[in-house]
Amino acid sequence: MSGAQQVTSAGHRDAMLARPAMKFERLVPWALVAPALVIALVFFGLPILNTLRMSFNLHVDQRVYVPGFTLDQYWMLVKNPIFSGSILTTVKLSLICAFSAVTIGYGFALLVWIGPPLWRVGFIGLALCPLLISEISIIFGWWMFFPKTGLLSHTLLSAGLIEDRFSLMYTEFAALVGLTYLTLPFSFFIILSILDGIDKRLLEASSDLGAGPLTTFREVMLPLTWPGMLVAFAHAFIWAMGTYATPSALGPDTLWTIGFLVQEQMLGRHNWPMASALAIVLVVGVASIMLLMRRLMARGGRFHD
Amino acid sequence: MALALELDQVSRSYGAVVAVDSVSLDVEGGEFVTLLGPSGSGKTTTLRLIGGFERPNGGAISIAGRRVDHLPPYKRNTATIFQSGALFPHKTVAENIAYGLRMHAMNPSLIRERVGEALGIVQMGGFEERYPSQLSGGQKQRVALARSLALRPSLLLFDEPLSALDLSLRLQLRADIKRLHDELQFTAIYVTHDQSEAMAMSSRVAIMNCGRIEQVAPPQQIYNEPANEFVYSFIGESCCLPVRIDDGAARDQQGRPVDIRLAEPPSSGAWRLYLRPSRIRIGNEAHGCANTARGRVRFTEFLGDFNRYHLVAGGLEFFCDRAGERQYQIGEEVEAGWDTGDMKVFAA
Ligand SMILES: Nc1ncnc2c1ncn2[C@@H]1O[C@H](COP(=O)(O)OP(=O)(O)OP(=O)(O)O)[C@@H](O)[C@H]1O
Ligand SMILES: [Mg+2]
Repeated sequence: MSGAQQVTSAGHRDAMLARPAMKFERLVPWALVAPALVIALVFFGLPILNTLRMSFNLHVDQRVYVPGFTLDQYWMLVKNPIFSGSILTTVKLSLICAFSAVTIGYGFALLVWIGPPLWRVGFIGLALCPLLISEISIIFGWWMFFPKTGLLSHTLLSAGLIEDRFSLMYTEFAALVGLTYLTLPFSFFIILSILDGIDKRLLEASSDLGAGPLTTFREVMLPLTWPGMLVAFAHAFIWAMGTYATPSALGPDTLWTIGFLVQEQMLGRHNWPMASALAIVLVVGVASIMLLMRRLMARGGRFHD
Repeated sequence: MALALELDQVSRSYGAVVAVDSVSLDVEGGEFVTLLGPSGSGKTTTLRLIGGFERPNGGAISIAGRRVDHLPPYKRNTATIFQSGALFPHKTVAENIAYGLRMHAMNPSLIRERVGEALGIVQMGGFEERYPSQLSGGQKQRVALARSLALRPSLLLFDEPLSALDLSLRLQLRADIKRLHDELQFTAIYVTHDQSEAMAMSSRVAIMNCGRIEQVAPPQQIYNEPANEFVYSFIGESCCLPVRIDDGAARDQQGRPVDIRLAEPPSSGAWRLYLRPSRIRIGNEAHGCANTARGRVRFTEFLGDFNRYHLVAGGLEFFCDRAGERQYQIGEEVEAGWDTGDMKVFAA
């Protein structure tokens, strides 16, 4: 009896001693993330708050901004077809770009995953190239590719596939190709990393159990690569939403993306509140994509490998 | 009735490497045939040719009387149990087992019945809703087995399904597979490089070497009547004595006479004598044996159930096993003896 009592009281004493230690332990994770947290808040959080505040300021008398509070800018976003149209254009362009990047990236990643080891080296080298070159240099490259006198027209003509020279320069298609090209390497690498974690025997097992190639793709490959596709899609979409130079330089003059309008309002019209409101639309768009993605990921992620 | 499986001169090479070299094998329904052989002898390739994961360069493969070499795996009535299990990680145990049945467009109530039945057979009832990541290695292999069994294929193919498991689990699952084979009478081709696995489970064993089948026979026959030197040396433990015989007298390879007396010595020339260490008698027990050799103990090994004595006679070295306490010391002269039936002689 007394022995048992001693044990309990000893246990009690241990718990008393442990309490301050536990408090400290709970602080450790916070202490570890603190530097990153501070950087994130100061360099990302504050500017966004600043932009948000700016978007409510007044824009009168051709002055850059007048401190105050109005919802005019947001009202304009809805009412003015130029702004609402640019939002739609940007979303549409980004969706198509993300879709193409994921589809093409998936195809290449699949080739690398299944194909002989030499292909891996080749394709990874190819995919790294655009990452090593600046966006501006890539734009110059497209300028030599798309016009009437460019490489594309020339090649098709000498191959006898077309009768007359033609130009794809300053078309939405060119803008789309440019955007897809920028995001493709990331999609490729993201999906390849997912594929590399999959046991190739699963394909054989599926075939062995009676599934043809298409069924195997639908039943095994798609569910297993779904999270990677979502990440790649979100990445490409966000990137395309925010990219300003490529669509402006390759697309038609009428291709007004949000990024283009931010620039125009800021530097051309000296209307900072309007530019800020447009920027906030971008931030909200990106954030909602992230949230949506997390929801979708959680649904597919019940199993752990 | 048609044979369950018929391999007729099947070959497969990768560039210059001949992985399978005109292999022929007939398997009757209900047989459990093991492909046994050293690493790289072409066992896995043979199995993959049967399953349809590889195409042969030559020869014909028939399953249940039907030529299949041009068919992809999903059109063959076989089911493979992979070394890794290859369970679909995003599907539950029940979904994994139902997969093949769904692919064969079976109706849902029948599928549910078959899944339950298959899980019962491998004693995994109650695990339906688990994901493969929530199973142990042995449980995964049981589910893989259930997934294949549920299809009731005409041929079950096993590619070293137990080699990733630890010994006790391996023994247990091996007994389970044997029990299931006795109960369900499926036809199985089983690849392994573990001799005891092959001996314990098979109705017949096919010994493979360098892409060829050296011998196909029931386990006892493989052990007692090996077709050739490779089979003899590969199966079980054996000592090899390379000798020269001159008019019935044995010499070692350097030509020095050795103290070996053979009851029925082979004709003059170079030979290799093979002996099973467990059948060699030593000391007093060797008296009266038809064949004897005198040697000195080089060293001994304690191996749990028995002691192993390494003997040297002239330039010849061999070893024999004896249960009980260690009886002979290093350097001691002892006599070893064996019956003529326990010795195999092959021309060198
Ligand atoms: N895809 C391949 N490409 C090239 N060579 C191969 C391929 N698959 C097998 N081989 C070669 O064919 C031979 C037989 O291989 P296989 O895998 O059938 O041997 P195994 O008997 O199963 O050996 P282990 O016991 O090591 O599994 C080996 O020499 C191997 O290197
Ligand atoms: Mg193998």
